[in-house]
Amino acid sequence: MNAQRLMALIVAIVISVPLMFPEGHSIGMVNAILIWSIFAIGFDLVFGVAGMLSFGHAAFFGVGAYTLSLLTMRMGWDFLPALGAAGVIGGALALVFSYFAIRVSGLFFALLTLALSQLIYIMAGTKLRMLTGGVDGIAGVPRPDLFGIDFYDDGNYYFFLLALFVLALLISGLIRISPLGQALKAIKSNEVRAEQIGFNVQRLQRSVFTISGIYAGVSGGLLASLIFYVGPQMLHWSTSGDVVIMVLLGGMGTLFGPILGVAIFEIMREWLSTQTSHWYGILGLIFIISTIGMPKGIAGLIQQLWNRIMPGGKS
Amino acid sequence: MSTIVIGLSMGMLLFLLAAGLTLIFGMLRVINFAHGSLYMLGAYLAFQMVNVTGNFWAGLVAAPIIAAAIGALMERVALRPVYNRDHVYQLLLTFGFILVLDEAVRIIWGLEYKQMYPPELFAGAIEMFGSSVPSYRLFIIGFGAAVSAALFFILDRSRYGMIIRAASGDPEMVRTLGINVSLVRTGVFSFGAGLAALGGAVAGPLFPIELGMGFNIIIDSFIVVIIGGLGNIRGAVLAALLIGMTRALGYSYAPSWVDFLTFILLIGTLILRPEGLFSRKGRTA
Repeated sequence: MNAQRLMALIVAIVISVPLMFPEGHSIGMVNAILIWSIFAIGFDLVFGVAGMLSFGHAAFFGVGAYTLSLLTMRMGWDFLPALGAAGVIGGALALVFSYFAIRVSGLFFALLTLALSQLIYIMAGTKLRMLTGGVDGIAGVPRPDLFGIDFYDDGNYYFFLLALFVLALLISGLIRISPLGQALKAIKSNEVRAEQIGFNVQRLQRSVFTISGIYAGVSGGLLASLIFYVGPQMLHWSTSGDVVIMVLLGGMGTLFGPILGVAIFEIMREWLSTQTSHWYGILGLIFIISTIGMPKGIAGLIQQLWNRIMPGGKS
Repeated sequence: MSTIVIGLSMGMLLFLLAAGLTLIFGMLRVINFAHGSLYMLGAYLAFQMVNVTGNFWAGLVAAPIIAAAIGALMERVALRPVYNRDHVYQLLLTFGFILVLDEAVRIIWGLEYKQMYPPELFAGAIEMFGSSVPSYRLFIIGFGAAVSAALFFILDRSRYGMIIRAASGDPEMVRTLGINVSLVRTGVFSFGAGLAALGGAVAGPLFPIELGMGFNIIIDSFIVVIIGGLGNIRGAVLAALLIGMTRALGYSYAPSWVDFLTFILLIGTLILRPEGLFSRKGRTA
């Protein structure tokens, strides 16, 4: 056992709460955690693995949500193909973004992705109002209709989301250990050297950005179906900010860290918002403190504790 | 005529924000996401002062001073420990400031819109070239011009400006010469925060004071500093006037495309000339 496995165990415990307490009220929250985790896992491929800070992922997330809603509600598509389309559209938009944004790096990349996603947000609210319902959004987004199971029951929907979550986690794990993941890590630690070795840096960055867009599109579609609603708020840059907070809080660049970050974020949202209406400010404070104090997030903290408890052991 | 006055006054307002942003970037290499929140805070503080004292000028003086103190605190407590990390962390910290500052404003002043009035001296309108122009707009143009002149004087002619320019170019060398660079950094961040709040206080009588006002203007300020060239304060003046005029013209001819156009301008600049349209090599402050 090492710190990695300990984290995997914590994640497993968190997401299996509905199995242990099927009568509890935790199912809704765990469902949200599963969906946001898919988003965060995909975001971390760009942020943690490739080292690119994007402030534009809300665009792919929101566009995925709108795609699923419009295809199922207006075009009569089935849920699964519509969910696939949400991923494809999210990925395609990310590919378009990347053609603009990857030409610059560092802080400029963050600003440019922010500007591009705000452009989408403004378009959805004004020019595309006929399609998106403007600020009102679209209510009544459906859930899947498969094998005669009633997915409108949160307990059943949990299993559907769990399957997708595990799939997303597996793919992300494979990408991390694949040659693509290794090359991206090389680019993160030294872009110039990676280019000199012969990697096509921009193409690799474009690929991972697109993959991350697919993750965001799928999770956006799933969230719309979970809450039966899609609105422009999902496209707003604060959604990009939320996923950045989640990943950084949990531990960027680790497989399980972002999931822990999502879990903490959602539990705080659930718990603090019943205690005080100012939970977002408290979240900001926690975010500032953890950015200064533990740049590697909860994952780094667990690693440290583990090393202290098990000195000499390989981590 | 009124379009020109609106454009110029908007440009001057944007310049107050952009000057702070670009100074902070030139000195600290930090893009301050929270600049819009400081601007909003400035407007609320000015509103509060006017309510308490009944005097517009008291608000105009007090708001920047309080915001500068908050800015100094932010730099000292949060940013200083992370200077030697990747610049991304500093950006993320300023993002955290937004959440905290916005929440603080929400707790203190609540959600409803606040309204501020221009001082009596500039309450009326003036006839210029056959059209009537609110005199408060003219005041903003004059005030902005005076502030920018003072800024240039400080940066180019005074000893402080020399230290700032030197420290943004080569902090290690300046430190070796016996100057407390950490203090200079705190000072610049605090000064930039004060400028943002000054902008907020000046903007108070123009727009309704509300929570979203910070974000609306920060995007425009980003556009200004990027078009002007990050860290380039001369570029910021030109870019601020350019964006101000574009907005004013846009509102009178194609209002639904204004946001669209400014974004296209920003994206185009970032892609084609990320160093800015008005940049000259080697110029930092």
